[in-house]
Formats: sequence, C-alpha cells, structure tokens
Amino acid sequence: MSDDRSNMLEIDDLRVEFSTAAGSLSAVDGVSLQLAEKESIAIVGESGSGKSVLARTLIGLLAGNGTRTGSIRIGGKDIDALTKKERKHFFGVQAAMVFQDPMTSLNPVKRIGAQLTESMKYHLDLPSNIANDRAIALLRQVHIPSPERRLRQYPHELSGGMRQRVVIAMALACEPRLLIADEPTTALDVTVQKTILDVIDELRAERNMSLILITHDLGVAEGRADRIGVMYAGRLMELASAKDLFSGMRHPYTQALLRSIPNPDRPSHTRLHPIPGRPPDLLNPPTGCAFAARCRHARPECVDNKPPLIEGSAGHFFACHFPVGTPEGEAALAENMRAGVTGAGLSLDEAAEEFV
Amino acid sequence: MAGSGTAHLRDDPRVLVRVEHMVVEFPIHGGTVQAVSDVSFDLIEGETLGIVGESGCGKSTTARAVIQMPRPTSGSVLFRGTDLTQLSAEDLRSVRPDLQMIFQDPISSLNPRRTVHDIIAEGLRVWGDRGEWSIDKIDELMEAVGIDPRYGERKPHQFSGGQCQRISIARAFVLDPKVIICDEPVSALDVSVQAQILNLLEDMKARYGVSLMFISHDLSVVKNISDRVMVMYLGKVCEVAGSDDLFARPTHHYTRALMAAIPGSRAIVDEQVLEAELPSAIDPPAGCRFNTRCPAATDECRSVEPQLRPVGDGHFVACHHPHLPVAAAS
Repeated sequence: MSDDRSNMLEIDDLRVEFSTAAGSLSAVDGVSLQLAEKESIAIVGESGSGKSVLARTLIGLLAGNGTRTGSIRIGGKDIDALTKKERKHFFGVQAAMVFQDPMTSLNPVKRIGAQLTESMKYHLDLPSNIANDRAIALLRQVHIPSPERRLRQYPHELSGGMRQRVVIAMALACEPRLLIADEPTTALDVTVQKTILDVIDELRAERNMSLILITHDLGVAEGRADRIGVMYAGRLMELASAKDLFSGMRHPYTQALLRSIPNPDRPSHTRLHPIPGRPPDLLNPPTGCAFAARCRHARPECVDNKPPLIEGSAGHFFACHFPVGTPEGEAALAENMRAGVTGAGLSLDEAAEEFV
Repeated sequence: MAGSGTAHLRDDPRVLVRVEHMVVEFPIHGGTVQAVSDVSFDLIEGETLGIVGESGCGKSTTARAVIQMPRPTSGSVLFRGTDLTQLSAEDLRSVRPDLQMIFQDPISSLNPRRTVHDIIAEGLRVWGDRGEWSIDKIDELMEAVGIDPRYGERKPHQFSGGQCQRISIARAFVLDPKVIICDEPVSALDVSVQAQILNLLEDMKARYGVSLMFISHDLSVVKNISDRVMVMYLGKVCEVAGSDDLFARPTHHYTRALMAAIPGSRAIVDEQVLEAELPSAIDPPAGCRFNTRCPAATDECRSVEPQLRPVGDGHFVACHHPHLPVAAAS
C-alpha cells in the first residue's frame, strides 16, 4: 500500500493458535495488514471473530496457551528481534492499549495519580514531581475537570466515562506512536461514548498517532476510522477505506452484518435481516470460506476453496469468490435463488423471507 | 426534564397498564435516593412501549416497579383497573402470571442445573394449564421460538447466548401473559443474533397478542421495535411520542442530544454536546433536572419543574423551551 518507511505497523501472515482441552483452536488465521503513520483503522467483527486476540497479540499480551506465527513490525522494528532490554521499554511506550472495561483495567486500591505516573517513572525514568505535572496535563487533555483533585481520588470515586478517560490518559502517558483501543466505549452510554471517541480523535490528530480501533459496531467504525477491516472466524474478509466500504461493499458478510443492524433512519417495525446459521467451530474450521455456510452467494467452489484476500480495486481488498455487486456475484446469487438453496446447502426459502 | 404531569395519559378502553405519579425510593447510607420520581405512563393492549435513557435514569426500576418488584413508594399502578400497589402479597401472586419478564443476561437468568424443558414448563407446574399452553404442548412452544424440541433435555450451558434468550422468551410466553417486560434483552448479543431475537419478539407479539415494555439504551433498537417511546432522565420523563414521530421530530433537548450521539446515524439533529457529568440522583438539580447540561436552560428551568404538555398528536414533552419548528412554537 505504501512504502516501508511510512508504515507504523506491518503485520504479515499473523496466525494465533490456542491449545485447549478440546484441541487446537485457530483464533487468528493469516492476517496481513499495514498501517501508515497517523492512519486509523477500525477492525470490526462479532464475538469470536478474533479481533481482540489480534489486538492483544500486537501488544505482546498473548495468553500462555497461545502460539503465534507470522511477523509483526511496529515502527519498523520486528517485535521478535527486540533485545530483552529494548522489549522492557517497548510495549506501553511505542505502542499502548486501551482496554474495554474501565472498571477492571484500573487498580481499585491505588490512587489515580499513582497509576498514571507509574509508567512514566518506570519507562521514562521521570522524577515524581515532573511525572505529576505531566499527569495533570494528561488529565486536562482528556477533558477531566479539576485534574489536581482527581489525582488523589480512587477509581470508585469516578464515573464510568471518567474512568475510561483516565485509562486513555494512562495509555498516552509515554507518548505512544500507536494506540490500540479494544472496544473502548462498549461499556458506556451513547452520550459518553461520543465524548470518549471525540477525545481519542482529537488526541490522535494532536499527537500524530496511529490508531487501531477494535469494535463490534459498524456505526462507530464508520465515523472514526480512515480504513475499516471486517473480521470473521480469524480472517480479514474485507478491508477498504471507510467510504468505499459503505458505498461499495463487496463481501457478502459485510453486507449481511450491515443489514442486520436496526437503522434509525428507517421507520419502526422495519423487518430486520439476521444472518442465518452460526459462526463456524474454530476447533474444526471449514476447508473453504468460513462464511460459506451462512452466505447467500455461496457456490460449491466456496465450500472447497478458501478465497484469498485480493485487491479488487485500488485499496479495496476482499476475500470472496463471488463478491457483492460484481457480475459473478450477482450470477451466483441468482443461481442460488433459482435453486432455493445455496451451493453450501443453506436453504434460501427461510432466508428469502428474512432477506426480502 | 423533568417532567411530571399526566397530560400524556390516554382515555382508552384498551389501556392495560396505567401508572400514575409513581415514585420509587431506595434507602442509602444517610438518606434515600429517588430512582423514579413522579413518573406516569400507560400501555395499550398490543402496544410496545420503549423506554430509553442513560444508565441510572431509572428505566429498569420503572419497569420493575410495575410488576411490584420493588413495590413503589407511592403512586398507583393500575393493571386492568386493579391497583397493584394496594394488593396483598397473595392477591398480587395471582396477577403475576399476566406480567412476565425477559432479562438482559440470557445465560445467568436460566437455572444451569435444570433442563430447558423444565425451565420452560415451570410456570405451568405452578399454575396448571392456562390459555394457550399446557405441559404437553411445550414442544410446540419450543418450535415457535426456534429451538429444536429434541434438545429439551439439554441444559442451558449447551446453548449459545441467542438460543438462551429464545428459551427465556418461551418461558415468558408459557403462561399466556398480557404484558412482558423486556429489560435490555438484546444488549448482550451480537448484532446478527440481535436481529433474530428482535424479529422473534415481533412475531411472538403478533401471534399471541401481548404488550411489551422494552427497555434499552440503544435508540436504534428501541425505534425499530416500539410503537411509542418514553425518554427518561434522572428518574423523570422527558418526552413521550410515537416511535417514528419522536425520531423525526425530537423536541426535548435531551432527546436531541441522545440522537446526535447515535454513532453513524445521518443525524437529522444538529450537533449537541453533553459535556457535564450526570448529576447525582441523591441530590438532583432543582427545577428541570436536565438544566445543568441543557443548552437552552434559563432561570425558569433552574427553579420551576416543567410539566408534560402536548406538542403534537400523541407527542408530549416536559420542557419550558422545547425545540419546535418556528411556526409551531408558542
């Protein structure tokens, strides 16, 4: 997409497997991605799509039973090639993370000030008084009123929105160049969600940070990211600029996901279009396309061959044999409609009712 | 917002539930907190009433106080003309089958040690056969909610979240209720499953004729399923209107701020930001409770509590300075 020097993050064929009692589970299955400096990308997917595992792997937080293959380069540095010494001050400094739940990502028995200055003292070796001044400035940047007083408070004295701001301030403390936000607003009210996302937007522009925003909400992704990647069963299904994705989505999964969301612009009691079936069992992943069993476009080919992620038009990638809005895709859909059943055996009679 | 008042209550023989001046207080250390503060509303047969608001606005407490869990501190809850707040525990028990509930977390609201068939049939074991369903028709009910009856002997942990919510729906319908309270029933589900459950609720409602009270913080979901929507803030009603009307013409400044915050919506509402924090419910602001965050607040708003008043057909707002088209403002 762009030359190596301007890439903040490069992921090449990342795979993460967990060994569980029931066998080996493939959570991330060959994801490749580049993120330019100052760029923001949203990774959208349902539970179990692997989006959170992807985020945590990037920042070196892989659970003990997980194994990773494929390379990750952050700021031009291969994270496997870091020396022990470099590694110590890498995660949390070059790349930082904001977690979903502000209630559990703060230590309940330590004051906000202590938690905020901890990383600055450790990573940047700042003396207490300077770290304190920086902590006050950080709280001001995330729009927390009377920051001096907040430093002496405990997490339970703050509302959920304020706590999430503190978590964001903590992530920013060491001036990371890459911020990874894993569902930062899922636990919050819509009004608070808006202010938190506004804060992240503003800080990103101010500090020229790159951002990876993990979310299950296509609406959140649409307004806040330059590019959007849609994940399903551990794979990127579609990757495009936010504008291209919404104006010309190619993957039937993206389309199905968007159609299942109630749209506030449509009248009440508008029939919703759920996605038929269930996500595949990742202990026993299908040989072909992971979405084939639930897809209206599926042909026998989809069951046998996993479609690669290809660049269909400039900057617009999708992994589908019969994409939406292309002659092949429309032909496949028409053929399935005629037969009443898709090439993967999904009956369209029921789905037709749901999908009309 | 603050709105008290009963102007929005309807005189209609089909009114099933009529709540007037309901107050719910909880004792806290050193005083009481009014979670619901003089709320009135009604529910007509076959209607879906959506209740929206931020966390802590009292929407769940309002709905639960209707079924007397907890009992309101004052006010009346008329169900088919009977005031539930005046009933003895025993009389109340006999009304309970008509008022059912579906909870947010589908997995923890089902007993993990019992089979799905037993969970669904429990109401019938207690009350005997009522109306539509009987013990030998449980399989049919399971089919109606989209659970394969062959799985009746399985336990809840063997089902996904969406399937567990279907089981909860079957359990709520088995006693042929008149009103079902749905407290954030789809908040814990993925969007594709959420659509299945919302469609199922619509189908079941049409088929078996119940009224729903649907609580959610997600405005898009509430708009989709509701006939009428009530917006709450700090224990008070801000605005009540038909679902499409409310979204086409939000007049309360709080409703407008909520709509502006829906991510990705092609907002019909100009940008309005709620910067300040939600005030404490222990010591709510005087006058209109929304005045501390409202862009249009005046001295009047800080001292006089607005009453709900009509601004259109079936559209009521509790605001001194509602956002109205210029011609209609008076």
